[in-house]
Amino acid sequence: MKKTKNLALALVSIMLMSSLAACGGSNNGENKAAEGNSGNKGSSTAAPAAEGDKAESVEKVELSFWTLGNVNYEELAAAYTKEHPNVTIKIQNTGDQTAHHNNLTTALSAGSGAPDIFQLEIGFMERFLGAQDKFYNLNDLGAKDIQANYLDWKWKQASSIDGSFQLGLPTDIGPTVVYYRTDLAEAAGLPSDPEGFGAAIDTWDKFATVAKAFKDKTGKYFSDLTDLTYNALRDQSADEIYFSKADGSFIGDTNPQVKKAYDFTVKGIQEGWISNVMLWSPEWGQGMNDGSFAVVMGPAWMAGNIKSNAPDSSGKWRIAQLPEGAGNWGGSFITLPKEGKHSKEAYDFIQWLVNKDNQLESFKTKGLMPSIPALYEDPAFVDFKDDFFGGQQTAVEFGKAANRVKPVYYGPLHDQTDTFFKNALKNVLEKKADPAKEWDSAVKQAKTLAERG
Amino acid sequence: MAEPVITSPHAESKRPFLTEQRRSRFTAYTFISPFFILFSIFGLYPIFFTFYLSFYKWDALGPMKYVGFKNFELITTDPTFWISFSNTLIMGLMGTVPQVMLALLLAVLLHSGMTRFKKTFRILYFMPNITSIVAVTLVFSTLFGNNGMINWLLNGIGVESMAFNSGWWGVKIAISTMVMWRWTGYNAILFLSGLQSIPMDLYESAKIDGANRRQQLFFITLPLLKPFIIFVSLQSTIGALQLFTEPYVFLGQSGTGSTRQEGITMVTYLYSEAFRNGFFGTAAATAVLLFLVTILFSVLNMLISRGGRETGGKKA
Repeated sequence: MKKTKNLALALVSIMLMSSLAACGGSNNGENKAAEGNSGNKGSSTAAPAAEGDKAESVEKVELSFWTLGNVNYEELAAAYTKEHPNVTIKIQNTGDQTAHHNNLTTALSAGSGAPDIFQLEIGFMERFLGAQDKFYNLNDLGAKDIQANYLDWKWKQASSIDGSFQLGLPTDIGPTVVYYRTDLAEAAGLPSDPEGFGAAIDTWDKFATVAKAFKDKTGKYFSDLTDLTYNALRDQSADEIYFSKADGSFIGDTNPQVKKAYDFTVKGIQEGWISNVMLWSPEWGQGMNDGSFAVVMGPAWMAGNIKSNAPDSSGKWRIAQLPEGAGNWGGSFITLPKEGKHSKEAYDFIQWLVNKDNQLESFKTKGLMPSIPALYEDPAFVDFKDDFFGGQQTAVEFGKAANRVKPVYYGPLHDQTDTFFKNALKNVLEKKADPAKEWDSAVKQAKTLAERG
Repeated sequence: MAEPVITSPHAESKRPFLTEQRRSRFTAYTFISPFFILFSIFGLYPIFFTFYLSFYKWDALGPMKYVGFKNFELITTDPTFWISFSNTLIMGLMGTVPQVMLALLLAVLLHSGMTRFKKTFRILYFMPNITSIVAVTLVFSTLFGNNGMINWLLNGIGVESMAFNSGWWGVKIAISTMVMWRWTGYNAILFLSGLQSIPMDLYESAKIDGANRRQQLFFITLPLLKPFIIFVSLQSTIGALQLFTEPYVFLGQSGTGSTRQEGITMVTYLYSEAFRNGFFGTAAATAVLLFLVTILFSVLNMLISRGGRETGGKKA
């Protein structure tokens, strides 16, 4: 009796064992195939050729789509399935962008598990632009025909340097503007209408003078924090910031705009008109709500954060243009990883997803700033008034800023390199460290990191 | 019970292959095999792959390129790595040494006088350990904020505010506090079980011999607790070397601070190397170095605890 029990259990264990072994085995096989032909699974090489015939159009297709953050793509995907009953879209949404992109990296390097469609954030673009063999070239699928509809600088962010490879289609953008509080502007005797306020600070020198006068008069801070002040100037850099577009080498120490951004922020710290709170911290939100600073410099999507952080100050905020130009922070692209087998259906869906009507819809429901310049004159977009901003036509300001953005090259190490400079500024602010020494140390760290690239 | 094992090959050939003993052995191994199989797939394979990877340059997407010892060279010449190394050791000491002493003290207190609320205290001790580290860290972040409660208390007793988010010592104090809060109770419970394993008659006979409380502690309790002390300090050492979540969350709230020099540990260095910069080769090399350091410290730990051996528990 006992023996049979033991044997049965042993058998179960063996079965478990062999099933696991089988798993391992098949994975190895796949990996080998992946190594064999540049990331394509052996079995699917013939698939693209078979696609495109009419016989397939009635075939039921399920597309997996990984989306990021607060977007309205679930609703749009459902609407698309209504029009095209043979295509269903399965959406998986992630809030954490680092995890979202790491998941894709893992799936791509394993050669399995990637979705058909992936929403890629601009901050991670360079990492994947180098892996063209892992994605469909959208130019081959017809992206060239719709290129003219989108902002040129935005389109180019997802192109190879020679423009032959297009990794993704543009979704939203993040042109930077100045959010400011009218009540604080009035208290300091500044013009409180967007035109007048913008004119009063239309160069960075004027901005600094106004900021200092504001601090002296009201005793409150002018700008909210070092990070956003630095970003505003940094992102106005032409063509490149920390890394050379031509050869990818580190140029942050010689780029005049980076130095300008650094020095300007240091000036703000030393003159005492930048408050000491951390970005995204509760104190920062509190400060917006009770007016401990007058200005938040941020991209279009920051409006959402201000609304949720500062409900009590509704109607007191307005939007004006930044001095000397605008930068861009954030925004996404829709890409098609090569592991997907239905590139045609997927492409049809994504070009529909980011067309004029749907980008307008995304703006109305989620505040995603469109990347289609034709919309910036479209009454449906322009007439959108926001009560939080005192009935201001916010879309007009964002559109103005979007047209002033110059395309920049980031490079794959932009994020970490930027951290060095942000930390240097934080040390100047919190530890009263010597700005020149901190600058040198940031440059040194950046160079050490760049050696690994 | 057990048959004498027959060693002569001649006799063995006559017996069937599956003897009773072999069969039961086979059954036993089959039973424990799932762990080993799972471990070899999800544990052993990645470990060896890490060693392999540390000699290659790889961004997880493109092809792997063999670079020999270059990854190790890049890391060992990077001042930030050495800062992370010394930070790990300093925070390890700050978080471990007082913590083990405190845990021992708590255990002794709980074991001796407090007979009434033992269960309650045990639960209380264990609470910090099962709370999510991220949640804990966020709570501590507000306590240690620039205008947080800790600074408010410090100001109350006439001490100046400390920069817990950016000060060289401030950051370390804040992080060590979190580590201590999390592990003191856990270790106290371990010590308590050790204390309960010491036979009471030893104490009774010591009392008859006229030993006071302090002597009882030093000549009975501590020597007999030694295996537990060794275990706890070894565990704490290894844990301290792998410190990650507390500094990562505490300094990383703004998304950029997790690699600040004041609080970067070896594991946060490794993490940002792999998952922020996409340098999996250097990250693997960091892991290998961390592995070597861990071994070194474990051996040191063993040597110290063995060297401190006292001859004979009881003095005549």
